[in-house]
Amino acid sequence: MSASQSAVRSRAEAVAVSRTFDWMILFVLFTAVLGGYHIHFMLTGGDWDFWSDWKDRRLWVTVVPIVAITFPAAVQACLWWRYRLPIGATLCVLALLLGEWINRYMNFWGWTYFPINICFPSQLIPGAIILDVVLMLSGSMTLTAVAGGLGWGLIFYPSNWPVIAPLHQPVEYNGMMFTLADLSGYHYVRTGTPEYIRMVEKGTLRTFGKDVAPVSAFFSGFVSVIIYFLWHFFGKWFAGTGFIADDAS
Amino acid sequence: MAATTESVKADAAEAPLLNRRNIVLGMLLYFVFYSWVRWYEGVYGWSAGLDSFAPEFETYWMNFLYIELVLEVIVASALWGYIWKTRDRKVMSITPREELRRHFTHWTWLVMYGWAIYWGASYFTEQDGTWHQTIIRDTDFTPSHVIEFYLSYPIYIITGVSAFLYAKTRLPTYQEGLHLQYMVAVIGPFMILPNVGLNEWGHTFWFMEELFVAPLHYGFVFFGWAALGAMGVMNTEVMAIGKLIKKDLV
Amino acid sequence: MKIIKDKVASLSFVALLMALTAAMFYAPTASAHGEKSQAAFMRMRTIHWYDLNWSKDEVAVNETVTISGKFHVFSGWPESVDEPDVSFLNIGIPGPVFIRAGSWIGGQLVPRSVALSLGETYDFKVLLKARRPGDWHVHTMMNVQGGGPIIGPGKWVTITGSMSQFVNPIVTLTGKTLDLETYNIGNIYFWHAVWYAVGVAWMWYWAKGPIFIPRQLAVASGKANTLISAGDKKVGIAFLVGTIVANAVLMGTTNEAYPVTTPLQAGTMRGIIPLELPVPSVSVVVDDATYRVPGRAMQMSLTITNNGDSSVRLGEFMTASVRFLEPNVLEDETGYPDDLLAEEGLTVSDNSPLAPGETRSVSVTASDAAWEVYRLADLIYDPDSRFAGLLFFFDEAGNRQMVMVDAPLIPSFI
Repeated sequence: MSASQSAVRSRAEAVAVSRTFDWMILFVLFTAVLGGYHIHFMLTGGDWDFWSDWKDRRLWVTVVPIVAITFPAAVQACLWWRYRLPIGATLCVLALLLGEWINRYMNFWGWTYFPINICFPSQLIPGAIILDVVLMLSGSMTLTAVAGGLGWGLIFYPSNWPVIAPLHQPVEYNGMMFTLADLSGYHYVRTGTPEYIRMVEKGTLRTFGKDVAPVSAFFSGFVSVIIYFLWHFFGKWFAGTGFIADDAS
Repeated sequence: MAATTESVKADAAEAPLLNRRNIVLGMLLYFVFYSWVRWYEGVYGWSAGLDSFAPEFETYWMNFLYIELVLEVIVASALWGYIWKTRDRKVMSITPREELRRHFTHWTWLVMYGWAIYWGASYFTEQDGTWHQTIIRDTDFTPSHVIEFYLSYPIYIITGVSAFLYAKTRLPTYQEGLHLQYMVAVIGPFMILPNVGLNEWGHTFWFMEELFVAPLHYGFVFFGWAALGAMGVMNTEVMAIGKLIKKDLV
Repeated sequence: MKIIKDKVASLSFVALLMALTAAMFYAPTASAHGEKSQAAFMRMRTIHWYDLNWSKDEVAVNETVTISGKFHVFSGWPESVDEPDVSFLNIGIPGPVFIRAGSWIGGQLVPRSVALSLGETYDFKVLLKARRPGDWHVHTMMNVQGGGPIIGPGKWVTITGSMSQFVNPIVTLTGKTLDLETYNIGNIYFWHAVWYAVGVAWMWYWAKGPIFIPRQLAVASGKANTLISAGDKKVGIAFLVGTIVANAVLMGTTNEAYPVTTPLQAGTMRGIIPLELPVPSVSVVVDDATYRVPGRAMQMSLTITNNGDSSVRLGEFMTASVRFLEPNVLEDETGYPDDLLAEEGLTVSDNSPLAPGETRSVSVTASDAAWEVYRLADLIYDPDSRFAGLLFFFDEAGNRQMVMVDAPLIPSFI
């Protein structure tokens, strides 16, 4: 067999080629997902994610998991069914958080001087681990959607609580009560973002006393299940390798 | 004829399968350029970018816009024209090793595309939010837009289309037709640029404040999903490369 | 050909870099805040800011500046802007160069949005604490839901010192003293770093072996089930259980550490009390109004009736924050921003004291370059060509009366 008929010269070279492609593919997948996921996330849940005084017990808890489960479901659909790799959700979330952190530090703090304690991102990694492990253990999209999706929604608030609880301590300021997060939002002036834009819990007719967050988390988990199904199918479509007629040829 | 000769020559000269230098230099080029852009924004955003009717705005931002638009058209035509003009007309008869080498070059393009997508869709897009939430929206060509919409997006479009053209003109894998997900991955993010029209229309006639999650912005979201088309390209590539090295690998 | 093209491209790039680098040596002063881009009718017919005072124009980091004054909510509010039922007293500054240490309307702290009534006048105060050194243009500003930012006059304030000196001490209701500028940042970094490391560890576990090509080949040849080993499952279970248990424990320890937490505070504030101004005894009818484009001047024919008991003179016309003064009647002593002050901008055909009971028709001209500079002249390109403003009349004792005018405006191009 002549050299020109074989792409590689040896098994060692084949392994090296395969490994090099691994890293190049992983980089491209990471950055492409980062771009797409970040633009999706910042424009569907971004304001809740940007500011500590948007991170409430009702809408933040409800909206963020729902809009954030999309890309993890889609990438899992590709990486699991084609490669049996249970890293789709974690890859997405690591990419998103890296992009967010770079921007929060370089731009929210470095360009417009908001302290990091008002503009840090939401924590999503524990939910991603749940999605990936459930998929790996079950090998089932249905189970991942139901158990994983619900877990994704339910763990969101607890996994963020160690970081946001200190900011929910009450303060009396000029005769009114604030949380520290509210006070940050009031102190650190956002000229283009007036207070009425903020969408947070304003009190409702509720029957669960003060336990609002678990209700929000449960509802969020429920919708996340549905969104997971939908995006899993989207992911399969995006992972397609089909060609369409090439008029140019 | 010439192309075939070129393939043979390349093989004989035994060029490395992957030119790592190109990746490093390409990534550095973007990194250094965008670092400079960020520095420029940091200095001239505040000092000359707050009032679009001021003469210094014209000097520092509108001139930046005009120059970048002209350069982008020149670079896009030169690069795409070059890739198309030097296409391999005998692409189906290249050697497996040359094909593998071209897959590596193709992935070099894709790495650049991913890198450019990061800067455009992640870094400069969220940065635009930082800017709007801080200042009063007073022009479609506010400093963050001059960079985000009219610099970082064209750069990833130029890079993405170049990768697509490279694959189409030099790799046997893509001779079957038009790879649907490749088109999605390139044209979808491209559509984010024309979608700026919707954004500006809405902010002109609808509201001036910056609510990032406003439905007005969902056009960007929809086209952002298209980045997932990269998975289809990845799968096609993995199968094609797998076919080339399978017998030596397993 | 290609070489020439490449050279042109690379030279253009070099030229761009050189031109821009050269331009950097010219340091401009920071400009205004974008108010000029707002439609003139919006600035003229919504919120009228007056009697403004900036307590200082130079402060050191941590010192405070107070901006106080009044604003009148125009009763002829334009249709295209939602009424100010949900409004937020904001401040127009380039990012948090100051922190807003307090803001009040009618003596009420207004950290949240408020409901304002058309035709009323309110007094307000904003207390700013200096944070980031530089020369900053500080504007009064009202955001109206459905209308956007309505920007008032801006004045330069210089902050000296160093931002690293800035502190924002707060005492919580549980008795803790903390600096809001830096509070909790270490905690945020720590937990994000911990979970990121967990995510990377999970990724690394899978990426350390061959990833894509061999696994795809295995799946394609029907050996997918061999790709997840019993060891993988054990590791996966460890990650899963570890994650769930860690979060449960952290939730508990956090609740112990912070037993008192409250939800975010929100909700529009109603019942803001306006100023009780006496009903003006002067009445004004606008007979016609024209804007002469080449002369940068607005001319109004007014019929003024004095129903009061002392004679009055017209001293000022104010619209969209620009003050046109009649120098024989009024001089500004408040340090109002120069670019918004036309000290001799108002001429009245007959401004002799208007006696009680007298009615007089006069021609009033407000002229100044501010019409162009502040793009108020662009009113003639607006889809609703009306103007509005405040007229201030003074009696001999210096008492002031404010009268609102609102009328169509006819442009004159010759």
